[in-house]
Amino acid sequence: MIDEALQYDAIIVGAGHNGLVAAAYLAKAGQKVVVLDSSSYIGGAARTAEISPDYLVSTAAHLISAFPRKIEKDLKLAKHGLIWAVRDMATVALDLQGRHITLTSQGKQDTRVMSTHEPRDGDTWSEFDRQISKYARLLGRVLDEALPDIGNVVSAYEAPLAALRLERMGSADLRAFLRVVPSSMAALLDRHFEGNVLKGALALDAVIGHHAGPFSPGTAFNFIYKKALATRGQGLSYPVGGTGAFAEALGEAAETMGARIRVDSHVEQILIEEGKAVGVRLADGTQFRAPTILSSVAPRATCLDMVGARHFETDTVRHLSRIRAKGATAKINLALEGLPTFENFTDKEYGARLLIAPDVKTVERSFIAAKRNELPLDPVLEMLIPSYHDPRLAPMGHHVLSIIVPNVPYEVAGGWDARRDELVKKVIDTIEQYAPDLTSKIISGEVLTPPEIESKFGLVGGHWHQADMSFDQLLAFRPVPGMANYASSVEGLYFCGAGCHPGGGLSGLPGKLAAETVLAQRKSR
Amino acid sequence: MTEIDFIKKNKQEPDRKNPLDGPAVEPDQAWFEQPASEPPFARHVHTTPLHLVASTESRTNDWTVWNGYTVANTYTHIVTEYDALRVNAGLSDISPLVKIRISGKEVVAYLDHLLTAPVGRMKTHDTKRVFVCAGTGHLVTEGVLFRLAETEFRLVARSKHLDWFLDAGIGFEVIIDDVSGTLAGLSLCGPRAPLILADAGLNMAADLRRGKACWEEPARMPTYVSRTGLLGESQFELWVDPEDAPLLWNLLLTAGRRHALKPVGEAARNMVRLEQGVLLEGYDYASAFASCEALSPATPYDLGQGTHVALDRPTFNGQAALRKLVASGSGRVPSAFTLMGEEGDRPGAVYANGHHVGRVTSHTWSPSLQMHVAIGLMDIQGLGTSGVYTLDVMTGNGQAQKRVAQFVKRPFLHNSAAFPAD
Repeated sequence: MIDEALQYDAIIVGAGHNGLVAAAYLAKAGQKVVVLDSSSYIGGAARTAEISPDYLVSTAAHLISAFPRKIEKDLKLAKHGLIWAVRDMATVALDLQGRHITLTSQGKQDTRVMSTHEPRDGDTWSEFDRQISKYARLLGRVLDEALPDIGNVVSAYEAPLAALRLERMGSADLRAFLRVVPSSMAALLDRHFEGNVLKGALALDAVIGHHAGPFSPGTAFNFIYKKALATRGQGLSYPVGGTGAFAEALGEAAETMGARIRVDSHVEQILIEEGKAVGVRLADGTQFRAPTILSSVAPRATCLDMVGARHFETDTVRHLSRIRAKGATAKINLALEGLPTFENFTDKEYGARLLIAPDVKTVERSFIAAKRNELPLDPVLEMLIPSYHDPRLAPMGHHVLSIIVPNVPYEVAGGWDARRDELVKKVIDTIEQYAPDLTSKIISGEVLTPPEIESKFGLVGGHWHQADMSFDQLLAFRPVPGMANYASSVEGLYFCGAGCHPGGGLSGLPGKLAAETVLAQRKSR
Repeated sequence: MTEIDFIKKNKQEPDRKNPLDGPAVEPDQAWFEQPASEPPFARHVHTTPLHLVASTESRTNDWTVWNGYTVANTYTHIVTEYDALRVNAGLSDISPLVKIRISGKEVVAYLDHLLTAPVGRMKTHDTKRVFVCAGTGHLVTEGVLFRLAETEFRLVARSKHLDWFLDAGIGFEVIIDDVSGTLAGLSLCGPRAPLILADAGLNMAADLRRGKACWEEPARMPTYVSRTGLLGESQFELWVDPEDAPLLWNLLLTAGRRHALKPVGEAARNMVRLEQGVLLEGYDYASAFASCEALSPATPYDLGQGTHVALDRPTFNGQAALRKLVASGSGRVPSAFTLMGEEGDRPGAVYANGHHVGRVTSHTWSPSLQMHVAIGLMDIQGLGTSGVYTLDVMTGNGQAQKRVAQFVKRPFLHNSAAFPAD
């Protein structure tokens, strides 16, 4: 039975931030839009929840690095409650000797401290930073436009050029860039630096969120790509109320523009009639109809589970089923009775993103452990004390600590039930090397292993970006070759999640570009 | 005196009491097991279940390789064997063909997705020529599909692509098995083939129409007989357990003795195949997954098999690419040429009105036509409707020549089952 009231212009599956951005843009263009999400809240992995009563934290993603100012203005997010607590957050690489290195995006790096580690590093930093920034700027340009479908490029030799739009680079830059693309981050760092703490922190930045180590080929490109994504945004930013508040603002904007958001609506099947996507069916049997379906769910799950492999040609099914999406990140959130005392910290440094990665080898070793389904001996960490900027997250004087643990295997030897506590202990022991009074301040905490991230946020394999963001799965290869322009091979079915170009990182760009593609195609028809 | 007259003169009553008509033998499970001494993939030279019986017939010790298996190229002499196929009948080993068993609840939906034309209208014991396309629209392989039961099919393909068949099955409730090793194949071809089948006690098979199949049980050996194959009207294919295959081979040779049945190798079969004008994977085009250059694979349209493509139906492999191809109107056509010359000539590039349009991919001296026949895929636009066709020919003595050829309709020669009653 088809209810007339359930007839829409566009249905968006998944109310993650990308789904909401897409909904807002479509609704703004006058489309009748509905967003359906299986969970009881909006935002997906951008969510703020309680660790224990009165202690709030961004449960999964805790920083926004690439959200463009343009989207913020287009959707009037400030009006809908988005307030930035901090923009352009600095990064501090922790050092056991207390000579912490601060890195900011403004070029005011603490080169003096770098030089105390290794005399030359302070000098080479500016050259390294200049080079990486240049590549990032060149690459950044292709991130806010839809890319050509590689299948339509005439020659096989042109495909990689078209994928990267490399023709826009000068030949000298192109040569240097092509040398970096297949490099490992460790090799790139060895060409420039000597100091262990600096190299460790940059190496961690390159591999965090990936199932890769700094010695893995291609990780130098990951680093540049991450920097390029950041050029689209406004530096590392943290919104008041956590990433959940960011999603709430997007939801409110979308609803103000006329989109309908329906939670607790698990889309079981995307309906196909005569080769065209015509609607969706919920688990309770309700049918929504629309000529356009946008899915912010991972492309593989969208196509193979919701649509069904039979509606795609086997080449496509092969590509989809071989998307690498191996979750490699765990999250630990702690409620603290006061700030932990980090040695040699000034007040300012408590408000920064903190990296614990004493050297490149430690980062690599944690990856090697993950490869073997083991927990790292010395975990490397990214930490944030959001309550430093946003006092409402915790009672007065109290704090929350948000910890991302990279290189944690999806499946651990012995099973997660038996080893969850071991991971927490290892992480806390590691932090205590820098902040010895941490344990005494812990009130409560929560831990999310990759399988728990998978089940809680519907991210297949527990991967934060829906698919690994390495060169072979980026740009015109994302989500799979031949589908890079947001449209799937099924007429009327589009992707709008992190699984498509330009990828994850709370940028909202996949949602925006998908919506624009849909509108452009509608106009041309 | 022709061979047939000779047979008529020396007509004997066929030995009806067949020594093979013993008590039925229960299959021993050990037959199907790998010998413990032989690890999988240890063997480099693969022989078919018919190898021993075939080698006793070989007078030339001339072997060739087909899908990795050793099969006879000739048994006695290519012309004798060719004559047998054209005049009487020939028996060949076709076991190297790839056999895939596909069964399950959604088998029809799966095959509709895998193949270029739907199979739902096939009845049990029907057969169908089928084409498997890759996403580019090029052929992965081609073959013959048998419907064995409501939910069970067998695909006999030219080359092995089990991974493709399996990946195409993602999301379908089907079971896909490579049963190549558990099924031997025999080809009986020639005007006298139906008579031989009847003499061997396969009466139902002898009356089969082209494209149909049936079960028979000669000497209590379950045998699936189909009137299929690339050699035309008069070809029958017999599918049997590997253990029974040598016995069936001998049974047919015994029954065929008075019909001058001869074992026929690949060389003579290839001559007849060419006279039929049939383009063959591995000779005239390469599988989509085995080709390195743009022109070596072929689409079903290139092979002139557009009737085997149904575009307007739910998604199937190659649909998008073939749609584009049809819209563009480009492509190639299978073309056949005859030219005068010597037996050792090797034709190559083909020119229509002076423009290069393609190359000859297979050619042979046709003893029946007494001239050279050549086939290949020619560019549809360059070929035009009429014109002068010139072929580059390398002669037997190593001279390069340009020679005018006749464009002819395929097949060069029909291989019909019509034979004067005896």
